[in-house]
Amino acid sequence: MFNTKQTLVAASVAILFSGSALAMSGNSDSKAGDKIDGKYAANYAEIIKKADGKYLDKAVIEAILGSDETHGRNGLVGKLDPANPYSFEVDDSIDGGNHGNAQCKIPAAFTEVHESAAKHYHDDSSFVANGFGTPIAEAALSKWNITVDGDGKGLPSADVGMTIEEGGKVYVQFCGMCHGDFGEGAKGYLALAVDQNLVTSSFTDPAPMKAVGNYWPYATTIFDYIRRTMPFWTPNASFIGDAGYLGMTGYILQSNYIKIDDEGNELDDETFFNSEMLMKMNKYMPNQGNFFCDHRPVIHNERCMTNCPDAQVGGNGKGDATDYREARKLPDGTPQYNVPQRMHEDPPGVGHSGM
Amino acid sequence: MTDNIVDKVAVQTEDSRNQGRRAFLKGSAAVAGGVMFTSAANAAGGAGFDPKKAVAPYAGKAEITDVLQDGAARKSLGFGVRKYPYGMPSPFEKEVQRRTLEWLTPDSMASITMSPIHQLNGIITPNGLHFERYHGGVPTINPDDHRLVIHGLVERPLIFTMDDLKRFPSISRIHFIECPANGALEWKGVQLNSVQWTHGMMSCVEYTGVRLSDLLKEAGIKPEGKWIIPEGADASGMSRSVPVELAMDDCFVAYAQNGEALRREQGYPIRLVVPGCEANMWVKYLRRIMVHDVPIQHREETSKYTELMPDGTAQRFSWYMEANSVITYPSPDFKMQGPGKYYIRGLAWSGRGKVANVDISIDGGKNWKEAHFTSVVLDKAWTRFEMEWEWDGSEAFLMSRVTDETGYVQPPMPQMRNLEGTNNVYHRTAMVTWRVHGWDQGKNGGMIENVQY
Repeated sequence: MFNTKQTLVAASVAILFSGSALAMSGNSDSKAGDKIDGKYAANYAEIIKKADGKYLDKAVIEAILGSDETHGRNGLVGKLDPANPYSFEVDDSIDGGNHGNAQCKIPAAFTEVHESAAKHYHDDSSFVANGFGTPIAEAALSKWNITVDGDGKGLPSADVGMTIEEGGKVYVQFCGMCHGDFGEGAKGYLALAVDQNLVTSSFTDPAPMKAVGNYWPYATTIFDYIRRTMPFWTPNASFIGDAGYLGMTGYILQSNYIKIDDEGNELDDETFFNSEMLMKMNKYMPNQGNFFCDHRPVIHNERCMTNCPDAQVGGNGKGDATDYREARKLPDGTPQYNVPQRMHEDPPGVGHSGM
Repeated sequence: MTDNIVDKVAVQTEDSRNQGRRAFLKGSAAVAGGVMFTSAANAAGGAGFDPKKAVAPYAGKAEITDVLQDGAARKSLGFGVRKYPYGMPSPFEKEVQRRTLEWLTPDSMASITMSPIHQLNGIITPNGLHFERYHGGVPTINPDDHRLVIHGLVERPLIFTMDDLKRFPSISRIHFIECPANGALEWKGVQLNSVQWTHGMMSCVEYTGVRLSDLLKEAGIKPEGKWIIPEGADASGMSRSVPVELAMDDCFVAYAQNGEALRREQGYPIRLVVPGCEANMWVKYLRRIMVHDVPIQHREETSKYTELMPDGTAQRFSWYMEANSVITYPSPDFKMQGPGKYYIRGLAWSGRGKVANVDISIDGGKNWKEAHFTSVVLDKAWTRFEMEWEWDGSEAFLMSRVTDETGYVQPPMPQMRNLEGTNNVYHRTAMVTWRVHGWDQGKNGGMIENVQY
């Protein structure tokens, strides 16, 4: 466990919020005014139920969160705060990486989901199997079960693998023609290694390329995904095998300059890349701490009917309905997809880039 | 809640209330014993139907005097039965197709087509027009060879044949299915002038299948099993992570769509149905469900289907599709036919339950009027709305705004853009605006244009 103050707090919130309707009704017994983590009304489930399940109502949210700027409803709108009852995290990951915010759950506010799950499952003590299926041994699924999770469960044993140099050769043979020999992308297929800033909020900026180094939160995902789906025309290829897929994974990680230790060392061509090295690197994925659980809705509008405030009317908040943007057109009059790099080169139907 | 489909035609407005009442009166008058209502109608006296006044709008319009001729259809025999053992639409409907933008993707095996939303009626999408989204092409699977396995953190790993699955109690539900990238092209501004492009990555059909909770309980989920990892039998081996609470709620494994077997494009022989949630989770060609303690962190829930915010952080596991709505007529695919009366109609839906209200603005959001529903209002399904509009021929900005049963009100685009930037890709569920050009003696051709605030 990678225990910081933050993750400890997260874990305590998770315990209070976790699980079934039963656990929640336990919470709702708390006397009104109790706060979880000093932020949220402990009897939030009760409040939501009283409001007929309308957990998105402004009044309901204020009753749960208050309305202050830090943690209240007003704070939510201005700031994407992952710490609120509509999203929360559970246990930290086993690799010590900053994955603590990565195991999202159904928002506890979805009381009906819990009620339904309780009815269908938790409270169904009378269920007896129909017996329509056939038992099967886990061992019989060895070829089908190719799942590797974020904790590394499902990875090949540590004796399977190859050097980064060998992995690079496998990559160039099977991947390079679509993703570029150095992961730079080709033929419209995705780049795997780019050095781009994800923060480009200007309206006209091109969308940033999201690649392994600057975006992917888990290294395990690369191995799971390419073994499952690649090469595109013949996925999960036995002639590549676990060793080959590990080699490719290592080469992609090297191309993205992922660290292998706290000192900032990177993979050498001679490094034998196996599941142990993969799990070592899993906690150094640069963008892993930047993901937060879905906590929508953060927009809580009133249903205004007449003479609505300018902020809700067209014209970029100025109330002028005739202030609008139109589709840009190509010289031949056809609408233009708004990716600047395509603007002067590729009319629709000819070339490909992005996506 | 999701177990009780309430077939409620919501009567929302003064207009629709009166319509309902009129229908009631008419029906009652037709049966014996409707005396009270008949006399009540008569009591209105002089305010009854005035035929002369009723046809007044036709005054001054030229009358057709040429004798109408019979067409070929009237003068010859049509084709007989079994010419088409599986029926096809009229050849005159050949333009009603799902379509793609070829430049969106470098190949057609990992691509998408959009449903012609503007050409559909009611709330059911015909199977042949259901939108397509593949990550590894469409396999053709023999159902006799297909198997579904449930294993992992279960007491008794099980394998099922298609016959086994069909022995279980069945359920049928109408639900919308929406790609979270629906509307993605509009994040940076207006791109394309058709509802097919702006909202076509979705459909709504009736599914029949087996409750997922029945199947999971059949194998006996262990207490430490907190997630299910469904996986497809196709080239993409599609996988996502679904919390067990959600799996036990209203998910099911569907083998039928609109009364017939699933189409190959939609996962034949079986697919997962996760009502209200993004379509990527509805794993097609389902062959394996692994019960697990943690989410898999698959590429489609980390690298893709996560929402990049302006500050560089990204929202993940955004399962539910927010309430959304769109006016399908008049919309950019149509042309106005001159000033006069129009019935604005469209679709509304919410991943979090039923649609509660739909309001329509013709002035870019300043003032709103409530529309009434012309379809049943179902949980997590398309709902049809309609509103009468007297167009005076001046420039208008049409918008629809849905409120769902949770109280969530669909936001305008600037608000969503200010919050989420323009590089999000997914869940662009804010309102859109159709600009109706001023009529101006027909100079503008009745053009309707997609614009954005």
